[in-house]
Amino acid sequence: MTATNVQDKAISHLVSFFRKEWSGAFLAIIILAVAIELVTDGKPFFHPTNLMTILNNSAAIGVVAGGMTLVILAAGIDLSVGSVMGMVAAVTGYIVSYWGLPPWMAIMCGLALGALIGGIHGTLVAYIGMPAFIVTLAGLSVWRGSAHLSTGAQATPKLPDTFDLFGRYNPFSGLRADFKAGELSGFMEPIGAFIDAHWMGFFRTFQMSMIIFIVFFILLAVVISNMRIGRYIYAIGSNEQGSRQAGINTKMYTMYTYLICSMGAALGAMLFLGRAPYAKSDYGQMWELDAIAAVVIGGTSLFGGRGTVIGTFMGVILLKLINNGLTLAQLETFWQMVVTGLIILVAVGIDIVRQSKSAEKVQRMLGVVAVVLALFAALTPVSALVSSVINLHEHNSMVAMQLAGEKLAAYQNARLLDETALAALGATISDTWLMSLAMLALVAGGGFAAWRMDRSIAHVVSVLYFVVAIGLVFSGMAAAAPLLILGSFAMLGSSFVPYMFARARELNEA
Amino acid sequence: MNMKKLIGLVAAGAMMSGSVYADAIGYVTKSGTNAGWMMINQGAADAASEAGVDLITVGPSFQGDLSSQLEVFENLLAQGVKAIGIAPVDSSGIAPAVNDAMEAGVAVVAIDTGVNGADVTSFVATDNYAVAKVQGAVAATLVNDGDAIIYVTGNQAQSTGQERRNGFMEAFKTARPNSEILEVPTEWNSAQAQEGVEAILNSREDIKMVANAWDGGTMGAKAAMENLGLSAGDVKLVGFDGATDAIEAMEEGWVHADTAQMLYQMGYQGIKAAVEAAQGKDVAPRIDTGFFLVTPSTAGAYKDLIGIK
Repeated sequence: MTATNVQDKAISHLVSFFRKEWSGAFLAIIILAVAIELVTDGKPFFHPTNLMTILNNSAAIGVVAGGMTLVILAAGIDLSVGSVMGMVAAVTGYIVSYWGLPPWMAIMCGLALGALIGGIHGTLVAYIGMPAFIVTLAGLSVWRGSAHLSTGAQATPKLPDTFDLFGRYNPFSGLRADFKAGELSGFMEPIGAFIDAHWMGFFRTFQMSMIIFIVFFILLAVVISNMRIGRYIYAIGSNEQGSRQAGINTKMYTMYTYLICSMGAALGAMLFLGRAPYAKSDYGQMWELDAIAAVVIGGTSLFGGRGTVIGTFMGVILLKLINNGLTLAQLETFWQMVVTGLIILVAVGIDIVRQSKSAEKVQRMLGVVAVVLALFAALTPVSALVSSVINLHEHNSMVAMQLAGEKLAAYQNARLLDETALAALGATISDTWLMSLAMLALVAGGGFAAWRMDRSIAHVVSVLYFVVAIGLVFSGMAAAAPLLILGSFAMLGSSFVPYMFARARELNEA
Repeated sequence: MNMKKLIGLVAAGAMMSGSVYADAIGYVTKSGTNAGWMMINQGAADAASEAGVDLITVGPSFQGDLSSQLEVFENLLAQGVKAIGIAPVDSSGIAPAVNDAMEAGVAVVAIDTGVNGADVTSFVATDNYAVAKVQGAVAATLVNDGDAIIYVTGNQAQSTGQERRNGFMEAFKTARPNSEILEVPTEWNSAQAQEGVEAILNSREDIKMVANAWDGGTMGAKAAMENLGLSAGDVKLVGFDGATDAIEAMEEGWVHADTAQMLYQMGYQGIKAAVEAAQGKDVAPRIDTGFFLVTPSTAGAYKDLIGIK
């Protein structure tokens, strides 16, 4: 095989990858995971138990988002999923704790309650013709209120072990216990020994949450891509009137999407109860936003007709990965909020550019990614510099006010600093101003390269990124260096985009 | 949202029968569904019925919503109540409205959370910062210097969350200067606590203790331990609030210390002060409702005190 051949193969793989709706979310997951890996110590981020923990904690919201995908594919929306999940969780826990119903019966009641609620929403939207936004917004309020009313907003005692089957139950734990008790014989014994030896490193987090989550998505994906209901949902989402004229019972299938969505919320409630300390009616607040975000991040259009179930899976993983990773990285609370939003923007941005299928836009986007990365890296010195300058300025202003004879309020007094604090501020400023300036210049350079889209400028800026990254390592800010190295690659990659597009087109024609 | 409807009903009812409520006391709570707040609200209701006054209880549509709390506060003023007990969701945000009320001659008693930037008739609360320092000092005795621990924070945009975190950190770091403290940020949400604690406990096996800013976090941390197959005592738990479920978990060996606020007392004393102020009596400007350090040896006494069976 020749070098060009390998290159062509790579290009065609890349093209077919980016044809997938979920490529934006997938790429964001990979980039984020690498970044977290670089900044955290302790057990590696890519450790299987950590990945399984993320899957376990994605299960409940994931199933909810899976149901939401169908509604959005059919050009609807369901704002009530969080409340429905909370109500089903609370009511199921309540009847099992206080009515003495066997757990399985209570679970069936909970799922039936989900179906009933979905049926009501679907009927109002599809047959009565009320706007989905309004019906489910009302549902958001009604079901939350009903949940609080029916359970007195009190937490239940700990739920029976049956609920663990939806959550923390580990299918290997029995085998391990038998092995430890020495009750295994024959070929089962080495299996038990293997499980016990790899318990902490792998099997500990292999739990039902994760298994149900994955099986649910496989089933949903099979149903959507192979069965009539899936095709009809896409058809309704892209052109409802046309579908009706083609003889599809659009009302019935629209109703089904809400029914499935609420049942997904009910199943999500069971999965949540399997990991939660007790059942309570305030579970699932704001989940509607997380579920919608996961669907959209996964490349599904809010206008319906376009998207995939697998994309939603990726979207959920990305959201939970952000939570998990930022917690492990011990990023400050308020920064976590900012960074979460920015990552979502980047994931959806990749998706928008991907759809445009234009070399120029892809090139520009890679340039912008490089600029954003430089900006993130610049935050380390610049935020220290800016906050020091602001603190100093506030101190000086308060001193001036004091001299002018004004009486300072308590929170104004708190802005006054003592000698050591002032000296520390001065030291921070003199330490960081040069690096801050260099980083901001780099951001400007990246911006210039992204704007001009000139090959040699991109190459020069890419090298500059690398040089500054090394500079960062030597000035004690090594944590930000990986961002710049990533940016360097993005900048370098952007210059090859037009060539790759041209070659992909040739390959396509050949 | 359901709360909002309730408020609407109350407001409509009050407007139709304005004179009936002339001697009523307004009570603006922070939450009607949080276990701790339900105890405070109970205390408030009992104080009002003992004094024989009507208590108009209203709250924000969800925990932490300043704008709807301002709205219900002004509705109460418009109804002409004599005194208002309020648990501000935002210490500074509520200040202008409190100022207006005080100028109009309505007594305002702040409950649980203080008002920043306005004078109130009385401030009835546990000193969160002081109690959190006790929590930090007690937590320090449960681990050795150098052990890594997790601290589950409350909402860091609210003074209660900030004071509890600052108090804990200060006392714990003084006693155990070489210990690493990993933080799990939450907005008073036990699911966030469970996920965060689970992530860290799974990635680090050297964590010895999880301290929490409130007992919802304690129960979330306990669920995280159960999810990872840990048993009671493998990682020590330290709580804040003295909620019933945390005390039960203490008896099972999960929780090792809990600084309980006298929640019921907070509501009771707060409304009592408001009633007295409305009747023109003098009220102390700061009423500290104290706290109770619950450990396995004092759990029984605490349960008797607050009436858990």
